[in-house]
Amino acid sequence: MFDTILYGLTIGAILYLFSTGLSITFGTMHIINFAHGMIYAIGVYLFISLLPLLWGSFPLSLAVAVAAMLPLAYLVERFVIRRLYGDGIDYAIIATYAILLIGTDLIKLVWGSGPKPVSDPIGIPIQILGTTVQTYRVVVFICAVAVFVALRMFFSRHVIGKIVVAALKDRDGVRSLGLDVNKYFSIVFVIGSGLAVMGGVLYAPITVAEPYMGFHVLLLAFAVVIVGGMGNLTGTFFSALGLGQVIALTGRFYPAGADTMVFVVMTLVLLKEPIVDLLRRLVGKHGIGNFS
Amino acid sequence: MLRVDAIDVAYGYAHVVHRVSLGVEPGEMVFVVGRNGAGKTTLLKTLAGFLSPVRGVIDFDGRQVQGMTAEALARQGMRFVNQDKKVFADLTVKDNMELAAYACGESLDQAVERLIGMYPKFASFLEKKAGNLSGGQREILLIGRALVGEPRLLLIDEPTEGLAAIVIEDIFRILRGMKHKISSVIVEQNLSVVSRLADRILIMKEGEIAREIADPAEIADVAALESWL
Ligand SMILES: Nc1ncnc2c1ncn2[C@@H]1O[C@H](COP(=O)(O)OP(=O)(O)OP(=O)(O)O)[C@@H](O)[C@H]1O
Ligand SMILES: [Mg+2]
Repeated sequence: MFDTILYGLTIGAILYLFSTGLSITFGTMHIINFAHGMIYAIGVYLFISLLPLLWGSFPLSLAVAVAAMLPLAYLVERFVIRRLYGDGIDYAIIATYAILLIGTDLIKLVWGSGPKPVSDPIGIPIQILGTTVQTYRVVVFICAVAVFVALRMFFSRHVIGKIVVAALKDRDGVRSLGLDVNKYFSIVFVIGSGLAVMGGVLYAPITVAEPYMGFHVLLLAFAVVIVGGMGNLTGTFFSALGLGQVIALTGRFYPAGADTMVFVVMTLVLLKEPIVDLLRRLVGKHGIGNFS
Repeated sequence: MLRVDAIDVAYGYAHVVHRVSLGVEPGEMVFVVGRNGAGKTTLLKTLAGFLSPVRGVIDFDGRQVQGMTAEALARQGMRFVNQDKKVFADLTVKDNMELAAYACGESLDQAVERLIGMYPKFASFLEKKAGNLSGGQREILLIGRALVGEPRLLLIDEPTEGLAAIVIEDIFRILRGMKHKISSVIVEQNLSVVSRLADRILIMKEGEIAREIADPAEIADVAALESWL
């Protein structure tokens, strides 16, 4: 059982790293950014190519892959996302989905369409609570917690983080101080993209890399962002870990239903308001009490 | 300092400001008064760069600035305080000042010191979430934020709107303290405040400047001002 929970925490950690950027982009630009899946997938393939060139060093290849994807993320933000600002969510979906498709075909062109495995960089199991578990999975979870803490510090202590927090609710107020809001939104977009690449690379040894990996993680991440509250980074963290458990526990008893269960939970969260509302109305109508 | 020449402003097809011209001299405090919906906010937002005029010229310190972004104008020394008294609610009072200080490279200590000089109560509120401040305190924080970095022109939209009489006096004292030190255009409905502070009054009606009052005796006569609205 403990290994199932740990697996859930690992999946949750990966989902958190990926979803953060999606949530940030929704909060700042009000855009659903499918191109996030492209950055994630290309980042992982780049990592796979870098690994043999960088003496097989996992952390070094991870760092270089993340760094290398930042300029590409910046270009996507500057020339696609920013231009779509205020143009309605449908245009954004079409344009960023196109980028995801282009990225996927690019991967097939450069790296081929077959799956590419990545081996566990640690490989040594450890004993926790009498169960043998993969050390690597524990490390992945710790990485996600560290990122969560670092992001919280960034948004509450660093002046750039504070500017973004202020601009989320009062864009014009920040502009009237003479600050170019776009520049700061761009910075957090790039940070979010870097975290997605990190998530993708950390996930690779647990599954395999394949050209459509961006699509799969995007679907799950939408559920994470919706359950966690769009643009709410703390909510995203707990929702990712929660849905990670949903995947792991469902997968243990009914493997085919693991992903589906995530969307069942998402639907329940989305329906919560209308259901509560309906109950209130019904109760109100029968004169038992009026909550509104 | 500021010259506005025959600007028209529209929201889509709705023309709201018609051929407005005005000038502000260095150190002058100009008030804009007028009924609800007269176009005062629209005019101020246009001067601040949040809206672009469809026609006309805005000259700030010898440069044509119509069509320039609000952030660029703020960096040139023009600061705008919105009508809605919206502060950065999730940040502390000190953080609010920090962003302003960061934006113009002033030291935070100096900015905070000036704010406390303006309104000593802030000394004990620095770590308080700005969202928890009263309406009057929020307005003072916004003015304090706008004054960071020694701007040359301040545009303030209805600073006393919705405030209790004694708080209005606090705002009045702060505005009086700014007089002759900085140029300003202030939209204000409280005619007692206007008549005690104004160097000049522009009366706005249906998107036009219907009348300009510069004679001190006329400015001092609140009842007469009332009759122009
Ligand atoms: N975003 C907008 N889109 C369309 N019309 C607008 C918009 N904002 C304001 N208006 C219209 O423009 C006119 C002038 O509005 P404005 O806010 O400038 O008036 P005001 O003089 O500041 O009024 P108040 O005293 O209520 O603040 C009004 O008729 C208003 O309905
Ligand atoms: Mg107004």
